[in-house]
Amino acid sequence: MTLLAKALIRDHRKRPWNILFSILGVALGVAIVVAVDIANSSASRAFEMSLETVTGRATHQVLGGPAGLDETLYAQLRRQGFRESAPVVEGHVQTRGETFTLLGLEPFAEAPFRDYADGIRGEGVSALVTDVDAVMLSARTAARLDLESGDRFTLSIRGREETVTLRSVLDTDEPGLDGIMLADIAHAQVLLQRLGQLDRIDLILPDDQALERLRTLLPEGAEVMATQSRNEATLQMSRAFHINLTAMSLLALLVGTFLIYNTMIFSVLRRRRLLATLRMQGMTGAELFRLVMTEALLVGLVGSVLGLLAGTLIGQFLLQMVTRTVSDMYFVLTVTELHLTLWVVLKGLLLGIAATLAAALGPAWEAARISPRDALSRSTLERGVGRLMPWLIGAGLILMGLGWILVQWPSQSLLLGFAALFLLILGYALLIPPALLMLARSLTGPMGATFGAVGRLSARGVSAGMSRAGPATAALALAVSATIGVGVMVESFRTTVDVWLGQTLQSDVYVSAPGRSGVGVNPTLPDDARSRVEALEAVETVSTARRVHVHSPQGTVEVMAVDPAPRTPEGYRYRAGDGATAWQALENQDAVLISEPLAWRLSLGLNDTLTLRTDRGPREFTIVGVVQEYGSDRGLVTVHRALYDRYWDDPGVASLGIYLRDGIALDPALEDIRAAVADLEAPVLVTASGEIREMSMDIFDRTFAITHILRLLTVGVAFIGILSALMALQMERSKENAVLRATGVTPGELGGMVALQSGLLGLAAGLLAMPLGLLMSQVLIEVINLRSFGWSMQHDVSPRVLMEGLWLALLAALLAGIYPGLRMARARPAEHLREE
Amino acid sequence: MMIRRWSVVGVTLLTVLWLMGCGEGQPDREDDTLAVSQALGGDDMEGYARAVEPREFRFPQDHVAHPEYRNEWWYVTGNLDDAEGRRFGFQITFFRFALSPTPPESESTWATNQGWMAHLAVTDVNGDRHRALERFSRGAAGLAGAELDPFRVWLDDWELGAEAGNDFPWRLVAAEGDLALDLRLEPLKDKVFQGDRGLSQKSPEPGNASYYFSMTRLDTEGTLSLGGREYSVSGLSWMDREWSTSVLGESQVGWDWFSLQLDDGHDVMVYELRLEDGGVDPLSKGLWVEPDSQHQVIPHDAFELQVLRTWTSPAGSTYPVAWRLRLLEQERDLEIRAVREDQEMDLTVRYWEGAVDVFEAGEPAGRGFVEMTAY
Amino acid sequence: MDTPTQPQAKTSPPLLQLTQVSKHYTEGHQRRTVLDKVDARVQAGEIVALVGRSGSGKSTLLNLLAGIDRPDTGEIHVHARRLDTMSERERTLFRRREVGFVYQFFNLIPTLTVAENVALPMELNGVGSRERGERVKHLLDLVELGHRSQAFPDELSGGEQQRVAMVRAMAHEPALLLADEPTGNLDAETGARIISLLRDLVRDQGRTLVMVTHSQEMAAIADRVWTLSEGHITPTDNTP
Repeated sequence: MTLLAKALIRDHRKRPWNILFSILGVALGVAIVVAVDIANSSASRAFEMSLETVTGRATHQVLGGPAGLDETLYAQLRRQGFRESAPVVEGHVQTRGETFTLLGLEPFAEAPFRDYADGIRGEGVSALVTDVDAVMLSARTAARLDLESGDRFTLSIRGREETVTLRSVLDTDEPGLDGIMLADIAHAQVLLQRLGQLDRIDLILPDDQALERLRTLLPEGAEVMATQSRNEATLQMSRAFHINLTAMSLLALLVGTFLIYNTMIFSVLRRRRLLATLRMQGMTGAELFRLVMTEALLVGLVGSVLGLLAGTLIGQFLLQMVTRTVSDMYFVLTVTELHLTLWVVLKGLLLGIAATLAAALGPAWEAARISPRDALSRSTLERGVGRLMPWLIGAGLILMGLGWILVQWPSQSLLLGFAALFLLILGYALLIPPALLMLARSLTGPMGATFGAVGRLSARGVSAGMSRAGPATAALALAVSATIGVGVMVESFRTTVDVWLGQTLQSDVYVSAPGRSGVGVNPTLPDDARSRVEALEAVETVSTARRVHVHSPQGTVEVMAVDPAPRTPEGYRYRAGDGATAWQALENQDAVLISEPLAWRLSLGLNDTLTLRTDRGPREFTIVGVVQEYGSDRGLVTVHRALYDRYWDDPGVASLGIYLRDGIALDPALEDIRAAVADLEAPVLVTASGEIREMSMDIFDRTFAITHILRLLTVGVAFIGILSALMALQMERSKENAVLRATGVTPGELGGMVALQSGLLGLAAGLLAMPLGLLMSQVLIEVINLRSFGWSMQHDVSPRVLMEGLWLALLAALLAGIYPGLRMARARPAEHLREE
Repeated sequence: MMIRRWSVVGVTLLTVLWLMGCGEGQPDREDDTLAVSQALGGDDMEGYARAVEPREFRFPQDHVAHPEYRNEWWYVTGNLDDAEGRRFGFQITFFRFALSPTPPESESTWATNQGWMAHLAVTDVNGDRHRALERFSRGAAGLAGAELDPFRVWLDDWELGAEAGNDFPWRLVAAEGDLALDLRLEPLKDKVFQGDRGLSQKSPEPGNASYYFSMTRLDTEGTLSLGGREYSVSGLSWMDREWSTSVLGESQVGWDWFSLQLDDGHDVMVYELRLEDGGVDPLSKGLWVEPDSQHQVIPHDAFELQVLRTWTSPAGSTYPVAWRLRLLEQERDLEIRAVREDQEMDLTVRYWEGAVDVFEAGEPAGRGFVEMTAY
Repeated sequence: MDTPTQPQAKTSPPLLQLTQVSKHYTEGHQRRTVLDKVDARVQAGEIVALVGRSGSGKSTLLNLLAGIDRPDTGEIHVHARRLDTMSERERTLFRRREVGFVYQFFNLIPTLTVAENVALPMELNGVGSRERGERVKHLLDLVELGHRSQAFPDELSGGEQQRVAMVRAMAHEPALLLADEPTGNLDAETGARIISLLRDLVRDQGRTLVMVTHSQEMAAIADRVWTLSEGHITPTDNTP
């Protein structure tokens, strides 16, 4: 087939834009998928490595209650023969704009646990033990922070500033150490204000017998957990977030697939005569099918490889956003390496090639069906497309029906949710060409009336060029609908959170201990903070809160102990349960409130019980309410302070909610409060509730920034689709256009016709995107979000989002029309008239 | 038993740190040598107390730690028999080493400048093998240390301590795996102070000396468990207490140290400091202890030590395992033979320490322990 | 016009035989009969001209002979093989081996050179590249286009293109040569040259040719002329 291949390659060389758009479509789709994949896997891998770094070879960990572990437990365990054990104190510290996990270790006990201690050697370690301000970093990290051994630098720890010295650097490249700072356990205790306490004891247990013996030695409130399962549980926290990103990237690939279909079918139709001649020469339909598929394979391969390269670049950028979101929402993460595995590469290649081949199936089938007779006579190209319309409608309706059934299917599976979403999208996409046809036909009259012959020709051009216009419009509509759907979802979410914040922030001013973090024990306010605030004249009442991590049989849950002010209960909105009686029960009974995500995640409802490990051992608590709460996507248990004090020995308070007397102005009151707490032994934060609301919304917006980026990238893919479809349409029409020019249509009028046609496609895509966008937002809110996090939210459709979608579609289409329009306008009619 | 501890501890400080990295790395000979020379003069001894002149020993205070000196140890070795004549040797040592002259100023109970190491070894003379174990810890948070009222020195659950108060009898408890010791120690002689009233000069430079006293004959009985069997044992032990900041001179590479308990009630300690050039340092010496605890120094020129046989360990070191020791003033001619050749302490710091028999004119004349370093 | 060469003996089995062949088309609700129980035969080495008005079924008949289309009833035998019962694939492979086509619009592959266009059918039939090269050269020399072998079709005049198309149609030595108004797109003078060239080629190469034509000149080179009308063939023998 060498001559054949030559014929086709030369054909592409003659009209390179056609195949280039195909390649670009594959490349963009693959790039987005790969970029998200890389960002996700790099973030996960970095976190896994830092977990491994932090936990080392420990098989088990002894964890304490909310207040941590009594440090004397360690010596007791060692004397009991648990000598492969190491105490750990850990917490977060900030320096030079980065957050580090400060790991306080006992170097003498480390040998069995952490490999990087390999680098601890020579005098460095004795200084680590004997110098109160000594810390260690990996050589890479030190270089990144521009620090050298012996340099002093400042750490910010829960609002305090502490100066430390980089005593020595660990000579290791282990990326897991990128976000970790090491210190001797004694000095870590002081830096993190954890005197007398440990965060955990790492152990290597030889067998279950040792585990059982260990259990008998532990005090109430302490718990031993397998390291593996604890690390997995931590990784699970951000799983839903990563799945959501992946799904969005697949949407981009889907749009890219339409684009590929678009260009492939055009390349078949354009070469119809050539292919027919080949059939006449004795090539079978199967051979032509293979030919087109081989072409697609090459396009897919080249596009995927380019997509991989581009995806790696985009991935770097996305990784920063993912890292920031994960750090905001889940756990502190430092990622310095792009994790590009063979698997990611293969997945990107396979997806790209598979999508291309899938998209090429239709065109290849079309090519195989070309009759040799077409070489003898001219036939209209569009006959087949019109015939397809009923099939498209049928298949589209069936897919959407399946999607709808899946949506209704009672399941918690997020993947099933996405499957339903994709079925709905795909089904709808199949309905777009018929809809476009109807739209174009019905617009022929009005457009003729408005723009005269040019308008009529434009509208007819669309319906006549359905095989190209259909998929292109579908691709654009899909991309735009994604922006509408995701936009409505984010907007709804934002409104819901904003309203919730308004309700939940009942107090006027909050005083809190700075530095709450996911690692270690959270800080508390100095003891006399409350009394000082209460003594102020402007203050009417004060509520308190303490947020801690508590172990339960279902894993660690976050518990907030609230000492309510009279108005505190008004801040809660109940999805289940009675707000009027709940707080009475909370105070006097073993009762708790849980948030929606927790209820969803653990399948808990009203009057169910939740087991928590208290300092008096495991206890069961009755759920008296399920409340809205958007502060934690893992869920929150709210308990009354009285109950907390009954079961936990942790008298600290982390924040105060201050209610001002009526008529007191906020600003002077803030000043009074700041003055009252200024000379406390540890710094505290004084924040007006409005400010908290603003900061929360800032974090919210940052979290969804990556979503917006993905939306735009998807539109970018669709833009290429529209551009290539319009080019195809116009090239196809070049002879017809030449006739028009020859009969006296001006270049301007011809360009205008192209613009009108583009506008028509854009308008159609924009209009058709709206119902799909709304449907998507509905599924995203009711299915995807619910299954990811358990949050309910009000569906809030702002006309702004819809209009933005419409403008986006029009703009993309008009922009895409510029080049073909110019080309047509400039073309000399004689050239095109002569061609065949 | 002095210098050797020096180097042992000097090496240890570094190797502990090495160990923390490697887990089970065995320092090679080169590292040993390097570490010894560092212990000799390379390290900065500024800020530490030095053994410059004889001191007035005070008890019970001098039973516990002197953290202002860099190194210190509590060293117990002994020979034991059970009722059926099964014979054992044992060694337990608690080493303390300061990481800095002064402790860090910190509120944390974990804060310390003291590191601890302990060695435990048992020789089952007729059994399968020699066992040696080691441990490390910081001297804080109740993990390791030495304290009074009651007296005890410990690392995790290895402990030497008074049964009540600070006086004898003391009890030694140590176990790990299938090895366990539980021994009661009661002195049969007074403490004896080595060198010049307890100041033991190791090399000519002032301050290169240790404070050193011994309890040369401790009646010992209790139980020893090995391989799942428990033996009721009794015999004699020897305990050394020594602390210092620096000892070895530049040209000293290692030592051979002997502690012998003769059947006639005399106890003998001698050591030879080996020099780089293969010779013996003239500061090598010994101590002759009478049954009534009267004692006198044995100067370098008053004894002759001759190697009769050597043995090469699996790790590749060739150690002497039989000697002739002639005490010229006492006119004693002793032949010393290791009860078994394989008593190498194959630990982070590798050395040979083991039980020996003493013969005189071909007849059994006593027992003892020998330590040899830097082979 | 030269004296036509004597056709082969009519007693040998025909190369092409149509037996009671009918073909209908449905247009809207009307059924139109294009061929009505046609019987016809062509001997190897014959040249047959197919004439008739537009829409008389000339192209339909040509499609049936090429195996592009199938008759509704009747049998078609080419080279002793029955065409009408073959599958689409078998007919395609039959065409590849046994049929050469000359079109009104030349249908050269625009992205292949003249030589490559001629080589294509041989390559499809698995002719080795060396033999291919020799035959391409020979064939192009026959039509006096040896010097243009590296040109692309759009660099040739219409007559030159048709000459290339003719040798392409014969390159793989097909049993049956079909031509659809090969001069229809050429001026009279060029057309005349093409006709005589085609005749010479067919005779020299010993091919059999069925051609659709409107031109009297074309029909004149044929051994026989079939006139299609109302679904029937009226044969006229040109031979003396």
